[in-house]
Amino acid sequence: MAEATVELRNPSGLHARPAATFVKAATGFKSDIRVVNLTRDSEKSAAAKSMLGVLGLGVSHGHSIRITAEGDDADDAVRTLREMVEAGLGEAIAE
Amino acid sequence: MTTPIRGVPAAPGVARAAIWRAPEPGASAGTSGTDIGLHEATERAARELESLQERLRASGREEESEIFGAQAMMAQDPELLEAAQQAVDAGTPAEQAVHLAGEAAAVALASLDDELLSARAADVRDVAARIIRILRGEQPPRLEERSIAIAMDLPPSITAELDPALLMGIALEAGSRTAHAAILSRALGIPAVVGARGLLEAAKDASEIAVDGTSGEVFIDPDAETLAEIERRTAAAGAEVAADAELRDRPLQTADGHRLMLAANIGQPDDAKRAIEGGAEGVGLFRTEFMFMGRATAPDEATQTTAYAKVLDAFGERPVVIRLIDLGGDKDLPYLPLPREENPFLGVRALRLADAGHEELVLTQLRAILAAGERTGRQPWIMAPMVADLPDVYRLHELVALAAFGRTMGVQPKVGIMVEIPSVALLAELVAPEVAFFSIGTNDLTQYLLAADRTNPGLAERQDPLHPAVLRAIAGVVEGGHAAGIPVAVCGEMAGDPAGAMALAGLGIDELSMDAGAFGAVKRAVGGATLGELQEATRHAMHAESAKEVRSIFDSMRGTRAEEREAVG
Repeated sequence: MAEATVELRNPSGLHARPAATFVKAATGFKSDIRVVNLTRDSEKSAAAKSMLGVLGLGVSHGHSIRITAEGDDADDAVRTLREMVEAGLGEAIAE
Repeated sequence: MTTPIRGVPAAPGVARAAIWRAPEPGASAGTSGTDIGLHEATERAARELESLQERLRASGREEESEIFGAQAMMAQDPELLEAAQQAVDAGTPAEQAVHLAGEAAAVALASLDDELLSARAADVRDVAARIIRILRGEQPPRLEERSIAIAMDLPPSITAELDPALLMGIALEAGSRTAHAAILSRALGIPAVVGARGLLEAAKDASEIAVDGTSGEVFIDPDAETLAEIERRTAAAGAEVAADAELRDRPLQTADGHRLMLAANIGQPDDAKRAIEGGAEGVGLFRTEFMFMGRATAPDEATQTTAYAKVLDAFGERPVVIRLIDLGGDKDLPYLPLPREENPFLGVRALRLADAGHEELVLTQLRAILAAGERTGRQPWIMAPMVADLPDVYRLHELVALAAFGRTMGVQPKVGIMVEIPSVALLAELVAPEVAFFSIGTNDLTQYLLAADRTNPGLAERQDPLHPAVLRAIAGVVEGGHAAGIPVAVCGEMAGDPAGAMALAGLGIDELSMDAGAFGAVKRAVGGATLGELQEATRHAMHAESAKEVRSIFDSMRGTRAEEREAVG
């Protein structure tokens, strides 16, 4: 199992556009990937391949999320997704 | 004349056409019209949505296309599908299973305290309605002839399916100016009226309808006289729209090229887009009261930061002036218990709240503005209303410093004041060196100078900012501001009034801020005369007897100009 924690820095949070980028990327991996919004509710997790699940985590600017994956490409999946979140998921983020 | 139904104007223009009634978003259980399964239906829904996305993107409607990109992913969402499948396995009809699963997901999203995310609830419901339609074997909605769509509300799935070449207008019983259908109407340049109560009942047996998106009127089965009036309005609106479109990319300047900055007054973050499309060079007044009204507790710092960051982000390098809350005893807010006052406009309001036990309310807003500046990397302009003199200015700076305590402050805000209390107008030259900018609030300045209550309709005639006394006060503010080298703007109604804008240009104002809807008329008025002509007219105006006489000076200038143009053309 692989795991990473990362802070979301998109100004408007994880809204539809960056969430779609995230879910599409997750769907490209075979592993079972789950996401938790540590800032809001560390008990509630969602499937990273579910748009509704990811939106439902209510990830706002400055929230920390934990990504976990289980499967053959787990390490690769977690690293890729973490890097994408750090880079703003296609949106401009302020330093 | 046919009696109109009145609603809220949501997109300007006039149109008349056949009525097209949008299908009710039904979710009642029924027998499936087809025998396709759940998986097949969701696949088809996703394919429809993806091709809609492609089509909109190809025609340059990028923002709308993204809505459908997100919806396509929702249609194939594994969690939604699994919830619906479980219900089907338990014996629930497929349509009802999809409705229930969609509703559960929508409710979960709607309960989030994040405005952007909770707005997605409507998208989930829309996706569920689409899957249900496919399960029933029904075709997507389509127009057969030139039509005006009427409905309770129109979800994006329906508006995007309709052929824009046949869609002449929209009238909704529900909805707001920011409803998706209203935004779409403005993008397509077709008229829309929202919030027209009683519309569906009144139009039950009608076949034709006329919509005036400028006045907010809807005429059902218009009679001959109404049709003639509609014809007249259509011609006038067409001429105006063409003239405004032509002006959009032109700066606000006098006939001889003296530039003024053109800024927008906005009341909520979503107004930013319309302002930018209209050609705003910045925001001269971002009213923040919207966030504080209609709620049980004051909005926290994070909620406010998100709203301010959205506007700062949208305007990029262009300045955004955020006005600190202008609340007082006239507003009844559960979290702000203020004693009733005889004269709330002369009472404890705005900045004065900080010294009446509500310092934290003001500090929270200031912290949110500073945080939004840091988050976006943009410099916020902070504007305080109800500043009377230098001690008020010092108090303002002290509050900003308190809010900034402990912050790294990579981005320094500009701190300025709204000039609306006559005392600060008289003291302009003393106050100017202590602030970064002046913005004159002509509505309150007029009511205070002329001792005429804005809320008393019987005194409406005494409320005209073109009064010679108001012009003289403004002249003094401009002189004081410019001596200290700071910009002087006007963000009251006067700036958006053609005659008022001409007088302000003549008085040497640097920036006019108004609702984006007034841009075209103001550019035409100011562009019709040279700076010298406007200055001379303003000198006369300051010696006039009344606001009425001042108006006639500027109106006759506009009239003469129009006649000259016609004579030449």
